Amino acid sequence: MTLRTRRLATIARMATATSIVVVASATAGTASAASFTLGMAIGGEPSQDWQKAQGEVAAALAKQRGWNYVELSNNADPAVTTKNADIFIQDKVNAVIEFNGSPAVNPVLAAKFAAAKIPEVTYDIAQPGFYFVGIDNQAAGLAGGEALGNIAKTKWNCDVDLVISSEGQGAGIVNTWRTGGMRDGIKKVCPDIPAEKWVSMEGGGQVAVALPAGRDVLAAHPDAKKILVVGINDSSVLGVLQAAEQLGRADSIIGWGQDGSFITGPNVDPHLAGSVFYFLEGYAVYALRDVIDPIAAGNPPPVKDNPGDPASKVQPCPVSAAQAAKIPDMAGRVKALLAAPAGTTEYDLFCPKS
Amino acid sequence: MSDVATTRTMSAGRRELFFSNLPAGAGTASMVGGAWIVLVIASTLHRADFLSYQTLLAVTFTMAIVGVLAVAQALVGVSGAILDLSQPTVLTLSGAVICQLLSMNWPLPAVLFIGVVVGALWGLTNATIIVAGKLNPIIVTLATNFIGTATMFLIFQHIQAPITSPLVAWGQGNFFGLPNIWWPMLVLVLLVGYFLPRTRYGRHAIAVGGSRFAAQARGISLRKTRFAIFIIAGAISGLASIMFVASNGPFAPNAGTTFQLPVIAGVILAGVSLAGGRGNLWLILLSVGFLSTVPTSLVFFGFSSNWQAVFQGFILVVAVSLDGWRARRLLR
Repeated sequence: MTLRTRRLATIARMATATSIVVVASATAGTASAASFTLGMAIGGEPSQDWQKAQGEVAAALAKQRGWNYVELSNNADPAVTTKNADIFIQDKVNAVIEFNGSPAVNPVLAAKFAAAKIPEVTYDIAQPGFYFVGIDNQAAGLAGGEALGNIAKTKWNCDVDLVISSEGQGAGIVNTWRTGGMRDGIKKVCPDIPAEKWVSMEGGGQVAVALPAGRDVLAAHPDAKKILVVGINDSSVLGVLQAAEQLGRADSIIGWGQDGSFITGPNVDPHLAGSVFYFLEGYAVYALRDVIDPIAAGNPPPVKDNPGDPASKVQPCPVSAAQAAKIPDMAGRVKALLAAPAGTTEYDLFCPKS
Repeated sequence: MSDVATTRTMSAGRRELFFSNLPAGAGTASMVGGAWIVLVIASTLHRADFLSYQTLLAVTFTMAIVGVLAVAQALVGVSGAILDLSQPTVLTLSGAVICQLLSMNWPLPAVLFIGVVVGALWGLTNATIIVAGKLNPIIVTLATNFIGTATMFLIFQHIQAPITSPLVAWGQGNFFGLPNIWWPMLVLVLLVGYFLPRTRYGRHAIAVGGSRFAAQARGISLRKTRFAIFIIAGAISGLASIMFVASNGPFAPNAGTTFQLPVIAGVILAGVSLAGGRGNLWLILLSVGFLSTVPTSLVFFGFSSNWQAVFQGFILVVAVSLDGWRARRLLR
């Protein structure tokens, strides 16, 4: 039984609720490369297509290096995530990358992988003992807030009537970092906006949640004529912009989002001034360049598990609506990334430099 | 019998006589309407600017889609099928079809028609499974809701109508000072509320909901009634999806779940019996109006939006308790 068939059989036995992709080892590559196996656990939230793309990029980069590659989906489920860790260990992978939206089980994973002596890279959600690769969410928030603050300064001389922060408290500390960072960014440019003009609401990270909540907040501030909106992501900001449209106040409002999901394409809301791209689908470039490649070469870097001092820092990229029009969609970005020289990031390729 | 006991018996008798002489749903109407008025007065006393055109717009926008879905849900409830838990899926499924066809530049009337037909087909699917399998409608619609949402997630993550579409322009606009999407809700509630007890099919639905055995003894087909109700309820949900696409912007396949709680609460609060056979659909205007005012009012009182689900859940518990109380009173 070949390594590949044995792996498939093992996974098929254990992963009943888990979608699996096994990319065979490339025929090319050195002997040591062929014996290196990278495990990748994608988040598995169906609404987040970038999570699937994270796996596609990792698979392609592993293939370029001639590694074996095992991909499992955590299905956004703690039990599946834990079971996937057992599969990786049973498969004797040499390193694991994980985007785990169920951080409560991270200590369990850490104990399992530590016992099996398998190094793990975590994307965006820190865990002691895991190499941290990810965005500095506070810096991302700050960058977006400053950009929106500059617009407010130019357009209204910072004389703002209302600043709405559309939160997504389900995201925990990430919400605090992003929306708090955006508020701090606005304050950096417009420090004299009075405290009573700052309002927070729960936008749930979805237009369908942020829209009715936004209507209510705007109705409760009927005299506000110059309004700024920030949020945990583009959807939560769009909901408030949509609410302003419905209440006949669209021309009074400007928003700046996070994650770049609704700032490209033909349907960009004209009041969404910009967003902050993280290029989530391309995280594997950072993880392989700074962590996995040295491990594969037998020179494992020191474990840096703190988002403040990460193993690899992903740079946030604030983009105005006009600039975003020149950025390709995710499929186009992935294609360009994989065609670029090794180690090139999407930030290098697509982030406007001015 | 003592004087006190006699007096109590007489007053109880007068009370029953009073209730029996009221038009159907008058008690519920006065209770819900009263609660609504109290809420508006309390909010206005707290902040005078609550009584503003902005508040009116916020409340009526919220009412529109919830009200239409509540009509569909009420039909299902009156007919004894208790609840259709697949409404969130039909809302986004039909909405996704509408968005896709609009993106392909199909003519608007055809798109709207297809949106309603998709809803009706969804209802037909539910009814077929329920009738053929003789299964509990709640379980079936819960399952089809999961299947539908999960399947949509396999196909798309977000979808929206082109922002240049006339449907989107209509969804953001007003007519006589109120949102365009509010008026179809009003017309629907009035029409369905009027025709349900006054047409043969409507009376059949009420009869089947009241007692399926008595209805069958009178020659009313449970199967036909169930098919008709689920198809009509699906078509009405399809209408709601048109309004949803017109007013919501981009949405994910699970976006419809946000409507589930207020719709069910609105139906029960309107006095539509979960046991079937009873309900004045006109009262949906009051119950949905009240429920749509609550979140706006909470913001004026300074509560965070996290409290909205708490209040709506609390109101649902009160409404279910009232429904049980009404049912027990009828049995006495």
